[in-house]
Amino acid sequence: MPEEIEVKIPKEVYEKIEERIRDTEFKSVDEYVTYVLREVLASLEEEEEEVFTEEEEEKVKERLRALGYLD
Amino acid sequence: MKLFVAGLDSAPPELLFSEFIDDLPNIKKLLSDSVYGPMKSSIPAITIPAWMCMATGKTPGELGLYGFRHRKKNSYKDIWIAHSLTVKEKTVWDYLGEKGYRSIVIGIPPSYPPRKINGIMVGCFITPDSSVNYTYPQSIKGEIEKVVGEYIFDVVFRKDERDEVKEKIWEMTEKRFELIRHFIQTQDWDLLWFVEIGLDRIHHAFWKYFDENHHLHEPNSRYRNVIPDYYRLLDKELGKTLKLLDEDTAVMIVSDHGVKAMKGCFAVNQWMIDEGLLKAEYGNGVRKFEQLDVKWRDTTAWAWGGYYARVFLNVKGREAEGVVRLSEYDKVREEATEMIKSIRGPNGERWETKVYYPEEIYPVAKGDKPDLMVYFDNLSWRSAGTVGWESYYLLENDTGPDDAVHSEYGVFSLKVPGMEGGKVVECEIYDVAPTILKMFDIKTDLKGKSLV
Repeated sequence: MPEEIEVKIPKEVYEKIEERIRDTEFKSVDEYVTYVLREVLASLEEEEEEVFTEEEEEKVKERLRALGYLD
Repeated sequence: MKLFVAGLDSAPPELLFSEFIDDLPNIKKLLSDSVYGPMKSSIPAITIPAWMCMATGKTPGELGLYGFRHRKKNSYKDIWIAHSLTVKEKTVWDYLGEKGYRSIVIGIPPSYPPRKINGIMVGCFITPDSSVNYTYPQSIKGEIEKVVGEYIFDVVFRKDERDEVKEKIWEMTEKRFELIRHFIQTQDWDLLWFVEIGLDRIHHAFWKYFDENHHLHEPNSRYRNVIPDYYRLLDKELGKTLKLLDEDTAVMIVSDHGVKAMKGCFAVNQWMIDEGLLKAEYGNGVRKFEQLDVKWRDTTAWAWGGYYARVFLNVKGREAEGVVRLSEYDKVREEATEMIKSIRGPNGERWETKVYYPEEIYPVAKGDKPDLMVYFDNLSWRSAGTVGWESYYLLENDTGPDDAVHSEYGVFSLKVPGMEGGKVVECEIYDVAPTILKMFDIKTDLKGKSLV
């Protein structure tokens, strides 16, 4: 088990989650919240990942312009 | 069963299935035992996102991809370029990989940077150049270079040296097929899907020499047969390749959109300035939109050029200097739509302009979407973002020679082992992924229909 610490969330959010996970494979609100936050963080990280260096991006933009995609 | 998919970027049904078919013996033979027909593309009918709509079965709205570039967080100027990691939905090769099937995918846009798959991925034409790593696994890059020398991703066609363009496109295509045949002979695979971009480039660069009805047609040009010759090259290369497939392999041909004559470009921002939607001044001399001093506080809307126009409203609270109140958004958008739809051609002729609202045409419209998507005269007129022209109507492209635009229908054909006799079907780009998954007996909830 990894070390755990507590986070406070509004009661109404907690209750909404309770409602949401009823009859699902999530065993607790904690488990659901951890899952959702992990998903969100992973997608943010992926979005922010720099794929092209500045020089590469210029090269690609220049090519796409020359191909007519960026008029 | 295995599946071989030939992606021919911008192949139109009119040429591939009719006008040229008697000169294409291998494709003709294939079609005689296939289900085939025109395939309706995505809106927008553009390489990115269309190929990924095909591979995922999802709409541009669900993918959050509306073209090659997108606005960065509602910025007026900053943009991001679509790449493979911006595709968040599962592709058919992801589904197949989960079931242990091995895929080889080559040049399906956007596929740079190469993503990890159960098999091999080779980057598409948004790869910066051949010095970067453009394959998964990385070791395949060296193998490719042993087989074909320097790999060619694309050929920039908008230049006047037409012979050079032609020669380079031929070389690119021959190398691609050589690589495909190498993989067929040396690798295990269940799905092999490639996209040949050369056909699209050939169409754009040589259309006016071929199409007698094009307004810039040059009769008896020595380039008049380049397009039919290139189709013959594709047929020959495909024929050599199909011979290597075993009897248990299904063969599919698909394209992301079709092609037709470009009638011209419409200078959309210049029109918006004159109509009072966009506040900026232009004098004589052509300038890019980015070079204009826009008075944003007095601007309602502005647009991007390309095969279709993306129009953005300057919304209060969304854009940094937005003015359109949210309560007025629908009204302003309707008014802009009416104005755009009433635009007529250079001789007063009525246009078949189409205007789409992203949230109305997709189940969900994610990401950095435009407020309006405009097909001027049903794509026959490109949209030019530049201003300072003598007229809104440019008979030649504003950014280099280019004579063709996209049309809404591409092609689909599929021959499953054992199938006899040809049959024509009507289909949509969203049917391809469900068809492929059904062939591999994989269940999904994609909304398209399987064609087998």
